[in-house]
Amino acid sequence: MQQGSIIGGFLAPHPPHLVYGENPPQNEPRSQGGWEPLRWAYERARASLDALKPDVLLVHSPHWMTQVGHHFLGVPRLAGKSVDPIFPNLFRYEFGLDVDVELAEACCDEARAGGLVAKMMRNPDFRVDYGTITTLHMIRPQWDIPVVGISANNSPYYLNTEEGLQEMDILGKATRRAIEKTGRRAVLLASNTLSHWHFHEEPAIPEDMSKEHPENFEGYKWDMRVIEMLRQGKVDDYFKLQPQFIEEAFAEVKSGALTWMFAAMGYPNIPGELHGYGSVIGTGNAVMEWNLVKAGLAAPVETIPA
Amino acid sequence: MTIVSAFLVPGTPLPMLRESNPPWRPLADAYRQAGAALAASKPDVVLVYSTQWIAVLDQLWQTRPAISGSHVDENWHEYGKLPFDIQVDTALAQACIASTAAFGVRSRDVDYDHFPIDTGSIVAAHYLLKDAKTPMVLTSNNLYHDGDMTARLGAAAVACAAEQGKRVAVVGVGGLSGSAFREDIDIATDHLLTEADDTANRHMLGLLEGGDLAAVKAQAPAYAKAAKVDMGFKHLHWILGALGDRFQGARTLGYGPSYGSGAAVVEFRI
Repeated sequence: MQQGSIIGGFLAPHPPHLVYGENPPQNEPRSQGGWEPLRWAYERARASLDALKPDVLLVHSPHWMTQVGHHFLGVPRLAGKSVDPIFPNLFRYEFGLDVDVELAEACCDEARAGGLVAKMMRNPDFRVDYGTITTLHMIRPQWDIPVVGISANNSPYYLNTEEGLQEMDILGKATRRAIEKTGRRAVLLASNTLSHWHFHEEPAIPEDMSKEHPENFEGYKWDMRVIEMLRQGKVDDYFKLQPQFIEEAFAEVKSGALTWMFAAMGYPNIPGELHGYGSVIGTGNAVMEWNLVKAGLAAPVETIPA
Repeated sequence: MTIVSAFLVPGTPLPMLRESNPPWRPLADAYRQAGAALAASKPDVVLVYSTQWIAVLDQLWQTRPAISGSHVDENWHEYGKLPFDIQVDTALAQACIASTAAFGVRSRDVDYDHFPIDTGSIVAAHYLLKDAKTPMVLTSNNLYHDGDMTARLGAAAVACAAEQGKRVAVVGVGGLSGSAFREDIDIATDHLLTEADDTANRHMLGLLEGGDLAAVKAQAPAYAKAAKVDMGFKHLHWILGALGDRFQGARTLGYGPSYGSGAAVVEFRI
């Protein structure tokens, strides 16, 4: 078996507003648009993902929060109607996803080997969280690539940020080993917003963009600072700063997705491509890509022997 | 009399999912006892606040007249499904929604097929109502509300029920000490994670049993902080707000662990 590799990673936030604004047939509510710069950012990310031709997408979502260990979707097919508990007026989405159970099991095994508590989720009636579904829709609305869904263990909140993110680092490295051993060409999706200060009331017309702006100037400045670092490839510098960013910008990366993704990729100090940035109900959202094929850190698909 | 009974109950699904597990059995039995007491009080409606229904925008109230299905908990999926069949007093819920603007809270109705009903509300409905068709009013835990605001919501809900001439049972759904095991355990050996948590929980239950409102209110914040009580013990504030800070005492029907955290079923004497 050819050794697998991670061919790219995306910061792929999950505001359901983006699905709502797009009006895909799977989503029940209809909108007049909205959040176009972020949706266009995802269009660029979709094109890039398409060119990468991955075998599998792995997504780490803060809206599947678990207490005892790190959990992995482990049912071959999961389908249903996902209604966002916070924004049920915007997101009522019929989904169906195929799970790469073999890879999920390998990730789970490697996480255990790394000393983490890890579990497979085997219940066919499980309700997949809306963060996972939103990120997957926005990056690949065709739903034609198998998925590994990973929970966000609550350690960064229950223990502390440092200990929690150490677990995510171990989880990322375990994920990489599993991908290599199973021969997959994998793309990682970190389903996180940056600054997470948000408005507490929704406009009468949610997609009225005259009401949309960063909730907090300090949060916006933090977002620009970290995006610029990441654009310049100063990944090591970013991770030194991340605890302060989390503390001062209430950043959702506390839940661990970005740490997991970069740990899996080996913290490469390569420039991230910013596809776009925008606020959603005041929070800061960036769609960014780290293309390991373009960076020469993974082989393009055409060079892989059949 | 508008309020006919009041209960503090846990939202953990573990007793419902594995009733036969010895450490969880007392909670299941106590929950059933509470259900019998609730039925005996003959309420027209049950007002439920669950810490596990999280909101961050507005105050959400369930307004779908009938909700049924089954739910798999995001943590305890290995133990199976939680079936539910809940009737909602939509007229009262709508009145509650209209009432909160008076104290600066915007409320919103939730009437959607497949809306994810939270585990705590499902567990409470299962044990407290069993096959009874008594309607409920379900409301959310807005993370940005403190205990005082939650108490105002409880008071507002009771006032709305009074205006409609309804007898209500008040239920606050949430846990006690929040520290829990973070690794797989033999569930037959489940116990409170720390002796300090156990002591703190028992002390607070003692204060409730004695009806010492002043001590409860004085000590609840420190207890909530020290024992990492579920959502700052806002479910107690909901009950106290609904009761107008008046109760004679309480009876702890059951107390025990839920994977190391604290859980109790408490019936208030009103």
